[in-house]
Amino acid sequence: MTTPHWSEEEAVDDGSDSMVRPYTITRGRTAPERDDLTLITVLTTVQEPGDTGRQSARLQPEHRVILDRCRQPAAVAEVAADLDLPVSVTKILLGDLIAQGLLLARAPLSVARASGGMDIGLLTAVRDGLRRL
Amino acid sequence: MSTTQADPAAAPAAVKILIAGGFGVGKTTLVGSVSEVAPLRTEEYLTRASVGVDDLDGVDEKDTTTVALDFGRITIGTELVVYLFGTPGQERFWFMWNDLVNGALGGIVIADTRRLDSSFASIDFFESRGIPFVVAINCFHGRNTRSPQEIRAALDLDPQVPMLLGDVRERAFGRDLLLALVDHLMNLSVPQPVALC
Repeated sequence: MTTPHWSEEEAVDDGSDSMVRPYTITRGRTAPERDDLTLITVLTTVQEPGDTGRQSARLQPEHRVILDRCRQPAAVAEVAADLDLPVSVTKILLGDLIAQGLLLARAPLSVARASGGMDIGLLTAVRDGLRRL
Repeated sequence: MSTTQADPAAAPAAVKILIAGGFGVGKTTLVGSVSEVAPLRTEEYLTRASVGVDDLDGVDEKDTTTVALDFGRITIGTELVVYLFGTPGQERFWFMWNDLVNGALGGIVIADTRRLDSSFASIDFFESRGIPFVVAINCFHGRNTRSPQEIRAALDLDPQVPMLLGDVRERAFGRDLLLALVDHLMNLSVPQPVALC
């Protein structure tokens, strides 16, 4: 059980235009339950016939916005930008949905090789794509 | 872990490139010139707790700060997306924000010849973290009175670090910078045929 960080809340209430304290949305939680989400972890909504899982009482409006947004795969940073919420708050909400099996997360490609270099196949793909810009 | 095994056909893999440089040097402009969407903005709260100190220590910590960054994306086919992150102008925030710099392919440091010193910290940061980078000399004012050799010397660049001169508002220059970075990464990744003495 995490104790709400009231001192942090005072510090973040620094004249931003939001009328809602961001961690209200997360019910006071200030740390995500999972630490493997990064700015570029790509999220995809699980397509569920009938949306039965979405009736859960635990879902808040922000959760539903995320599920709508991620019907098209989107990175954590993109979801945060769309919700206009800080990345850390967004990660908590994303963690809720992943835990309920409503959202899939794809970790970023690992760029470093054990040998010390980078994945040449990946770099070639990036270069070929950039040349088409 | 099962939740990271999304259907590859549905979710592209992602990599990121960092765009750095002093305040107002054109980071967001460069992101916008090559991104397929208008630059997006997101924010993060940074506290001592976010740099790995025990959570409970954060209760008494009051140095929470909000840092904004602009980013864009380039879709490379259905399988791969490149995200471009403009780093916060104050480099001290990067050290607090591991998620921003961890796993980056590499970086582009933008410098303005009228105030090269504003990009020193970015170069130092990439060098200290071992993140490969290229340097963009932004000439959009059309007045560059210094030779590339002079600029290189002033920035104290290693000879193998690519440096390009151009206008970051132009998509072609942005593309050339990204290609120069990828070529640089490839060169660094090829085992060097150096004889051991």
